[in-house]
This record gives sequence, C-alpha cells and structure tokens, in this order.
Amino acid sequence: MYKILFRKDFVFCLALGANANNAQEWSKYAENQMRGAHSHSEIEMTIKTPNWERTLEINSDVEGKKLALSTITSPAKEKGIRTLRIDNNMWNYFPKLKRKVAVSSSMLLASWMGSDFTNDDVLKASSMAEDYQHKFLPNQKKSGVDFRVIENIAKSNSKVMWPKIITYASKVDCLPREYQYYDKQDQLKRILYLDDIKTFDGHKVPTKWVMQPQNDKDKKTTIIYKKMTFKTDFKASYFSHKNLTDY
Amino acid sequence: MKLVFVLFILIQSLQCWAQSLVDGEISGNLEAQSRHSWNNQAAKDELMQDWDEEDFYLFYGNLNGKLNFKNSRFETNLFARHSQSDLYKDRSPSQPYLAPLLFSFPNKLVARDVLKLKHETGDDNSRTEYVLNKLYYEWDYDEHRFIAGRMYINYGLGEIFNPINPFNQPTGLTAISQIAQGNDGLNFTFYASEKHTIDYYFLGDKTLDGYENQIQKTLWIHGEYQFSNELQLDYVVGEDQNRLKLGGQFRYNFPEAMVFMQTLFQTDYTDDKESHPLFDVLLGYDQQLTNKWHIRAEGGYQKKNRFSGLTSINDRFLPTEYFIALANQYEIHPLLKLGGTIVNDIKTGFTYLIMRNTLDLGHNTEAEIFGYLPVAKGSGIENDAQKLVTTDIGVALRTFF
Repeated sequence: MYKILFRKDFVFCLALGANANNAQEWSKYAENQMRGAHSHSEIEMTIKTPNWERTLEINSDVEGKKLALSTITSPAKEKGIRTLRIDNNMWNYFPKLKRKVAVSSSMLLASWMGSDFTNDDVLKASSMAEDYQHKFLPNQKKSGVDFRVIENIAKSNSKVMWPKIITYASKVDCLPREYQYYDKQDQLKRILYLDDIKTFDGHKVPTKWVMQPQNDKDKKTTIIYKKMTFKTDFKASYFSHKNLTDY
Repeated sequence: MKLVFVLFILIQSLQCWAQSLVDGEISGNLEAQSRHSWNNQAAKDELMQDWDEEDFYLFYGNLNGKLNFKNSRFETNLFARHSQSDLYKDRSPSQPYLAPLLFSFPNKLVARDVLKLKHETGDDNSRTEYVLNKLYYEWDYDEHRFIAGRMYINYGLGEIFNPINPFNQPTGLTAISQIAQGNDGLNFTFYASEKHTIDYYFLGDKTLDGYENQIQKTLWIHGEYQFSNELQLDYVVGEDQNRLKLGGQFRYNFPEAMVFMQTLFQTDYTDDKESHPLFDVLLGYDQQLTNKWHIRAEGGYQKKNRFSGLTSINDRFLPTEYFIALANQYEIHPLLKLGGTIVNDIKTGFTYLIMRNTLDLGHNTEAEIFGYLPVAKGSGIENDAQKLVTTDIGVALRTFF
C-alpha cells in the first residue's frame, strides 16, 4: 500500500490534480507515460465494418519525437513493409521488391493501411505536449465518471493535422480516456477511446485504443498493445536507411 | 566462369545452412488475369497487325525464399509466367503480333544477365517461362553491405518513368505489378554517414550482344545524399551497355507535397557502333490531398532511340516522347481502391487512360478490374509504338502467401 502511495507517477498525478492551472503538465505527464523516451511495442490492429473485419500485426519502435520505425508482421500481403521516419522525412520499404521509396510528408495524414488511424498516429509524428497549447475546460461527468477536460489548440508554428483536440483525462490516474479531434471548420471528425490501462516498465499505458470516425459510425479501428517495453536501448544506427532495408 | 559463380553461391549457402542461427521464410503470390482486347486501326493498316478482337489470359507468380543468418542472408525468387492467346500464332519471325509484349510487360525479366537461369517454352497459342530472377548472398557489416549474385536494383522516385535507374523498369502503368528485374553481379553499399549512402555495382550483361559474344560490363555508382531535412540529392554515374551515363535526382519535401526532378544523359556507344547520345528528363509532384486521396503528376521527355525500332517496347512501356501523366488513387472503402492514370503525349496529342480498381477479398486475396483506353489517337504520329496501343478491359485475381 505504502509502495503504491509513494510511486512517483501516483504522487505526481495527485499533485497535478490539485493544480488547476497545469493543463500543460497534464499533457506532458500523459505523453511521458504513454510514449516515454523510447519504446518498442507489438500491436494488433483490427479494422471493422458491419460486414468485414481485417487484422494487421505491427512492430513499432519509437525514439523521442523524431525517429520511428514500423514493420508489418502480418498478414502475408503486407508482411515486411516497413516505414522509417526521421524528423519530417518518411520512407517506405517493400522488401519483396527491395524497393525503398521516399514519401511526401503530406502522407502523414494518409489513412494507415485503410484504417481510421493515420501515418501520423502510427509513427507518432506529432507531440500533444509540444505541438499544442493547453487549457482546462470545465470538468465533465460521463457515465458516472469525473473527467478533467483539456482543450489543445495547435501552435501556429506546428505542422499538425488537427487544429483542435479535446482531451478527457481520468482524475484518478491523470491518463486520457478520450481524444476528440476537430478539423479546420471546427467539426468533430473522429474520437479516440482509450481503455484497459496496464503497466509496462513503470509506464502506465492504455492498451486498447478504439478510433471512431464520426462520418461513418459503422466503422472503427481498434489497436491492442500486446507487448510494450520502454527499456529498449536502440543502437545509434537503428533508425537508419541501412536498418530500414535490412529485412 | 559460370561454374565458379554457381559453386561460390552454393558453397556459401551450404556453409550458412549448417550454422545454427538459421531463420528461414517462404512467401509469394499468385495471379490470374483475363483481358479482352480491341485492336487499334492504325496497327492493322500500317503495322500488319491484322486482328480485330482477342482474349488474353495471363497467370504468374513469385516464390520467394529467404534464409537469415547472424550477419548475412541468402535470398531467392522464382518467377513463373504462363500466357495464352491466339495472338501467339506462328507468323513469320519478322512479323509477330506485338500486342502480347504490352500485355505481359515487362518482358525482359533480367535486366543485366551473365547466366540465363530461365526456361521458356511456347506453342501456337501460349508462352511459358520460369526465371530465377533473384539469387544472391548478402553480408552485412556495420557501415557497409556486400551482395553477390542476381539482385534487384530498385531506386528512383519515378513510378511511370524512372530514367536514373536503367536496371529496373517502373511498373506504374503495367498489368504486372508484383515483379522486379534481376541483375547479375556484385554490389557494395557504403553507408558513409547517416546522410550519405553510396552503392557501387559491377554487373555483367550478355543480352546486349547475345549469348555467343563476350560479357559487356556495367560499372555503376548510385549515391544518395540527404542535403537538409527537406532536400535529398541522388547521383548516378557509370558505364552501362556500352554507353557512358551521368544523371541525378533532386527531391524537395514541402510540408504539403513532394517535388522531384530526374535527368540522365547517355553518350554514343563507346565501341563505335552507329548510335547517338540520349537524354531523359523527369519532373514529378506527389501529394496526399486528403487521408483517402493521393495524387501524383509526372512529366518529362525521353529521347527516342531512332535505332531501336518497335522492339524498344521491350525496354520501356511508355510509348511517348514528351509526356505528362496524372495518377490518382482514391480509397472509397478500406476494401476498395480506385486508381486512374491519364498519360498525354504533348507533341502528338496521343492520350492514354489506365484504370485500376482493387477490391480486397480478405484472406490475403484481392481482385482487380482494369482498363486500358487510348482516348485520343494523336496527329502526325511518328512513334509506331503509339499505334500499337490497344483498348483493353480485364479482371485479375491475386493471392499472397
């Protein structure tokens, strides 16, 4: 019990909860927990419509906010396709044809493999804590649960695809349970629900992410984090062209 | 020479097989296509292609094998293709029907070969071929990589026209998409820094002068330099198929779109054969307009080799000299992607529309409906290949494993 009370994240979250002006710190805390300095995760993504369902498996490696490498491990059609991001540059690699292709940074907004997530989401190209300005909105209660509500407005110099995001964060663990994404016309376009919090290497992470597009409510994409580690120490050359093509 | 080469690859493979850290993988795809084709009047009148409508059936597949070891790997690919049509009728060798060359492009599955490693059979209405178009051993070190054998050489941003890479034809417009061309020789990749990669190739080629003659050498350098966060430069230089070649690619990544340019200059033949210099230019633009809609524009100039004649459709699919192309891809559902490309020859007015709509059937299987339509014939056509372009509609079923 004492161990729980004196855990760094628990104390930090309690302190945050007491400070009504710390919307920026709430965002930083959530990003630190969910993203860390570097991580390796094994993800299962399921795209679902009323008549059809498709599952992909992906390995995702992320270091900081500028480096990411993802590899599709299933199904057979896409197996081995890799995407490397270094800052704003992206390359796809198709191992069966040994083809490395530079892709436009505008591809960050493209749907990832037909899912409701974008390349930006999968490659974690934007940072909620750094690319947005934050302020608290009045608390809200949903299904009997109290949430802190944070309005995130894109900074004028940040290159992000969503100008406004509303976060619903749990008052208990300070982690987000819902993100609402608004477009330039201030229309709600999609909602990301986060659930099933688990702890990996001291980081609390929602392991079930459900993206619900608002213009097609029959369709949704679910991501399950099957494994995750924050103790991965990537070699200096890991996020490199050589490693991208080494598959 | 051949025997030494095969033994070398075989011994290396067996040695590594014996090691305990073996991790193998087999993958591939199979595809069946059926198309109905209507002939071009100009081909009938002027090029002795005396047929009206025909069906063409194509079956092809790849079988990939890979063995991974600690710091090396062995990779192979077997490509098999069977096509069936009355257009393979046994006419005089100087007057074959040429449409199958377009339907089954690329026809040349190995771009630079020292060894044949292929088997072809044919009769009055079919052709079958098996090609081992990848067979190499690769060693990996910290800052460099070494490959020996038959390999794919796949670089360059052009999807419709990609002049800086003479070793692999782009398949952006062709009906066969799951294919890359093999090249026999050695490759040394030097990762000079995080921003600079240099590939050195030493390849052999017997196809240029036939198998009875000597091997023509290719010495080629391809470099890739990330000049800044937005700007990347590629350079190519070397001797290939008896010409000296020099070229490069420039890519600039704007937040909204990517623009790129390629150019390649080729000298006369170095061995005094009748020839003339060649010059190609490509300009490209690529943008993701929305999360479902992707566009690409490519435009350029490819100097026509006036000594190559109609057989040049073996080398390049695009039958235009000055061209502009706009390719769209729209995902109307995760299962259904619509694709359409329009290519226009600025000089003659010849315009070609290519539609490809892909439906995901699940279980690693997809179906495609495709159409090839010359929507404007053009005036004063000097390019005979444009007269050969047929009107086609077809379906394909492909599966991956």
